[in-house]
Amino acid sequence: MSVDSKKVIELASRLPIASNERGIMAAFGVYAAMNYNEFFFKVASRVINAVDLETAQAIEKKLYDAVLECGYHTFHGIRTSMHWREHILPMITSPEDEVYALVAVTNIFGLGFIEVEELIPGKKLVTVVKNAYDPGRYLEEYGIQPRGRCYMFSACTASYMDLVYGPLYPEGMGTFIAVEIACRSKNDQICRFIAELSA
Amino acid sequence: MNITFESDLNVIKLEDVMVSLHCHHYNCGLVKALEDMEGVNAIEIFIQAATEEFYKNFKNYISNHLEDKPGGEKIEAAADLYRFMGFGRLDLSQLRESGGKAYADSSYYVTGWLAKYGRRKTPVCHLTCGFLSGIMSAIHGKPLGEYSVEEKRCIITGNDMCEFVVSVVT
Repeated sequence: MSVDSKKVIELASRLPIASNERGIMAAFGVYAAMNYNEFFFKVASRVINAVDLETAQAIEKKLYDAVLECGYHTFHGIRTSMHWREHILPMITSPEDEVYALVAVTNIFGLGFIEVEELIPGKKLVTVVKNAYDPGRYLEEYGIQPRGRCYMFSACTASYMDLVYGPLYPEGMGTFIAVEIACRSKNDQICRFIAELSA
Repeated sequence: MNITFESDLNVIKLEDVMVSLHCHHYNCGLVKALEDMEGVNAIEIFIQAATEEFYKNFKNYISNHLEDKPGGEKIEAAADLYRFMGFGRLDLSQLRESGGKAYADSSYYVTGWLAKYGRRKTPVCHLTCGFLSGIMSAIHGKPLGEYSVEEKRCIITGNDMCEFVVSVVT
């Protein structure tokens, strides 16, 4: 593995992401916006707690899908940008390097720090996050949770594998599916995600 | 606006409050998922969360930077915050303590929704309604929820501007 994750983060944090005079942040083929982490926590947690289990799971699936699309398109936009080609692509010598680089570049968006724990090329990716925002807030507001609450990181974990090992963009989304097998909101020590080929 | 980034934690703070960046696929996908929900008014929850967060954080911003400044400067700072966060461009100059109208000639949710789903027949700027309610309470020293906001016209339905009517809740 020839990717220096710290260097990727340092380089990626210089990416030109800022609002124009019309208040629109266009970057890498997507429109970005900044919002309070607490806002997203409040929306997701209150909606999930307002409905029955079956509806909650359907909502969680929709949120996962929305993040999957977000990750799939945004990371593709980043990896085909001039900035990436100039600064980060030279470090990448294999598909596995690209996975590590994509995971690293996620660490500029303010979501909490995600790292690769295990990668089996083309088959499986395990990521971990120590400081995701939502789990701590779930514990504070609602107590120990019956299932993982980090749909954002689950979907991101699948999106890396979709982009690197799935069919060529834009056909690869959903090739892999990720689940959160440990979550701090369930009183686990760390949040852990596994992406594997979907059935 | 003061923004910091802790690279070893992937934490971004805007005026010392944790924020994150998301693209229109997620932000608009979230709105669509909430709008499609049956049995609960999820968009009301969405607007309420926005109201609370913008109220709390803009109130702190005023307290830290604009305490003795006139209302007009606070209104201008609110529009700057909105633009800085990437939500579009607002004209808040017609707002008074008693309410009034706000206009947007550029909207993140309109731009994002058009890119992802195309045109629609109903307004889409729910977040802006919460933003306006929150910052109006913060600016005028009123309790949370003092102002109700309705988007009367939206660019996404073919208007040249989004128009928001802000009223004091009676």
